[in-house]
Amino acid sequence: MTHPLPDQSLGPEWTILELLARGVLDDSERQMVRELVLTGTLDWGELLEQAVRHKMLPMLAHHIISAGLRFDVPTTIYMHLESALEWNRCQIDVFRRETIRVAQALASRKIPFVVTKGMTFESTLYGSLGTRHMNDIDFMIRPQDREVVMSALQELGFRPFFDWAKDARREEISSRLNRDHLPKLARKIDQPGTRIINIDVANSLTWAKSPFDVPVDKALENPVEQAVPGIPGASIPCFRPEYQFLFTVLHLFREAWLQKFVDFGTDVGLMKFGDVIRLIHRDHDKLTDGELLRIMQTHNVTHAVGWVLRHIDETFQTRTLELFALERYGDEKLLGGQMQSSAYVSASGQPMRERLQSKSRGSVRPLAAAHPRTQDE
Amino acid sequence: MDDITAQFEEVLRRHLRSAKPNPINYDVELVQLGLDSMTAVAVLLDMEKAFNIRFPDDMLVEGTFRTAGRLKEAVRLLRERQAS
Repeated sequence: MTHPLPDQSLGPEWTILELLARGVLDDSERQMVRELVLTGTLDWGELLEQAVRHKMLPMLAHHIISAGLRFDVPTTIYMHLESALEWNRCQIDVFRRETIRVAQALASRKIPFVVTKGMTFESTLYGSLGTRHMNDIDFMIRPQDREVVMSALQELGFRPFFDWAKDARREEISSRLNRDHLPKLARKIDQPGTRIINIDVANSLTWAKSPFDVPVDKALENPVEQAVPGIPGASIPCFRPEYQFLFTVLHLFREAWLQKFVDFGTDVGLMKFGDVIRLIHRDHDKLTDGELLRIMQTHNVTHAVGWVLRHIDETFQTRTLELFALERYGDEKLLGGQMQSSAYVSASGQPMRERLQSKSRGSVRPLAAAHPRTQDE
Repeated sequence: MDDITAQFEEVLRRHLRSAKPNPINYDVELVQLGLDSMTAVAVLLDMEKAFNIRFPDDMLVEGTFRTAGRLKEAVRLLRERQAS
């Protein structure tokens, strides 16, 4: 599955990152990246800043090295890129071992779970090259297992922490009230390069009070065992393709629509869109055999999925809506009508490409409160 | 009027637009006054600051702030606990 080359209206730096995010698959794309890097007007400061903002520094570094562009990059910048890639590889190695440790603890208690997001994608979608950035290790569990999982993780040395947020108490209250995740957990390991391991445990494919949801029990049925690179004999359970796709897309939707992610500056990013494109590329046949469409329709998530795919198509010149026969879905006004509260970002109609490139996401305004009823009504 | 009512209502009105022009009905569910997941967090946080209290984990549930009456009772209880 190849795509038209991106237009360069947002500058060579942005074009390079778009190409890397969706995956450089053929010679014309490789050549385009090469020419953009070699152009005399490339702003390395801008490229590095956007690569960092979109968690793509290791990916950029790997491409520079593998494409033989090392001596076309300013030396000090190249050295930094190389270090970033090496550090990411070390961190992934630490995360792999910790993932297995946690997975074994959960399995020994017969708790149904899967590993999600970066830890599963780094090997299946990014070739175990150390290019997929990760902040933490992600798991999905059933809501009814929250307490026993929390207990198991505390036995492994993890503790709830909220210091990552600007207002730690606000985040603590929020995480206790909105029970779609356990509070973020951390364990100190004091290893050079990685002093703390963070774990994020979700118990919903969407979020607390979402107008639509997909039952976790169903999603956790028949998980796929995935080998862990570099650790012979080790494997971790992951979603089967339909739910892997659904969770990845709905997670992106959640980060795009919940105001708190905009406030934290952790809403939509190129890499997350790249994950979806790569998933479609890898699991194309399985995702288009009708089962995924049936699941989406059963759980009323076709509009949310359609919204994400529409933005992918507009941003990356893909044709995913057509692929999944979802052209009628994804209406932003309809979705905005379902999610009218201060917790949600306004359906602004802003092109996703502009939003992704923007460095002032906090300026996205929330919807006005949804005409709450008065006491007399 | 007891000693926390005025301050309690001031905090509530700060976050709930529908409560502003009307007397607070302590039996109406706060969601009907415009409380959502984000404003709920803000209300609890402001109550903690205003009354120098801290909601324990077992009180960080929806039941605690289902109505203004229940929330005020929780605040009063925490103030008493702190005083003793």
